[in-house]
Amino acid sequence: MTQPRSPSDAEVARAILTGLGGVDNIEEIDPCTTRLRSLVKDPTLVDKALLRSAGAFGVMINGRVVQVVVGPRVDTIASDLADLM
Amino acid sequence: MGRARPGDGEHKYLTVRAYLADLVTQELEVGDAVPSERTLTEKFGVSRMTVRQAIDALVTEGVLHREQGRGTFVAPPRADFEMRLTTFGEEARRRGMEPGTRVLVAETQAAPPSVAEALGQAEGAPMHRVVRLRSADGSPMCIEEAWVPVDLAPDLLDGGVPESLYGALRERGLAPTWGEETITASDATPAEEHALELTASRAVMRTVRRTFAGDTPLMYSRSSYRGDRYSVFVPLREARPTLVPTTSRATEGKVS
Repeated sequence: MTQPRSPSDAEVARAILTGLGGVDNIEEIDPCTTRLRSLVKDPTLVDKALLRSAGAFGVMINGRVVQVVVGPRVDTIASDLADLM
Repeated sequence: MGRARPGDGEHKYLTVRAYLADLVTQELEVGDAVPSERTLTEKFGVSRMTVRQAIDALVTEGVLHREQGRGTFVAPPRADFEMRLTTFGEEARRRGMEPGTRVLVAETQAAPPSVAEALGQAEGAPMHRVVRLRSADGSPMCIEEAWVPVDLAPDLLDGGVPESLYGALRERGLAPTWGEETITASDATPAEEHALELTASRAVMRTVRRTFAGDTPLMYSRSSYRGDRYSVFVPLREARPTLVPTTSRATEGKVS
């Protein structure tokens, strides 16, 4: 499932990182087939509305675990995230 | 005959059950009768109750099925449906089964909060709601409830419920491209038990699915599949590497 790398994926990755409270708030991000499952240090720094406006199709927060539904773009978004982290 | 200790009974029951399970996979064909209770009683030197217990367990699992007054037979294999964006009809046909559909509900309804949230719609937005009983080779297999925003496909149900909702959406330029589904084990409600004609086991698999066409949430569906007739097939692949912030950036001036 390779999609052309578009600038918008990098934008989405940057916005998601901000929505998760910035790289300093990230313990780890586990890219699944359609979701980014993140473990954050401080869940109060997570901005659900920002994540939704960044293009997430859903955001589930459970304790320090934040799941962001991004769909099949997860591949390219994950590699963009890796560059930003 | 001395009273058997519980441990013995359990052991004997498992022996008979394992024997029958092997017989089904190794020797018998679908529709073949299994040996009579009397034959098994004699073969294993166990009580009829123990034999019945073993057969009951396999009936509950969907390996055997009983026909009133006729006997016990090898059940057809479970349908191993891969969870992917195909329609019930397509999946059934690819397994050599003839799909059937009975429409239980077809209506326009205001979106309840859970459905609105899932589809990115305003609460109360008009939705097509379709509930169907799907069958394969005449046996009920699952009940599906699907919600589609009316504004995406206003005329979706105008000519009656289409045979395939995905197909009808594809024709409107809304081809499903991805989705997410969760599967949960559960007991059937009395209504499901009746509609699915469950007799041996009340186990069902409940699925909740969101289907997207690119960035557009298309459909929210909730289904219950017979636990005794279904297996879920899940292709696996290696997990992607976990992303961890590089030390220099993440722990700058911080204790991690």
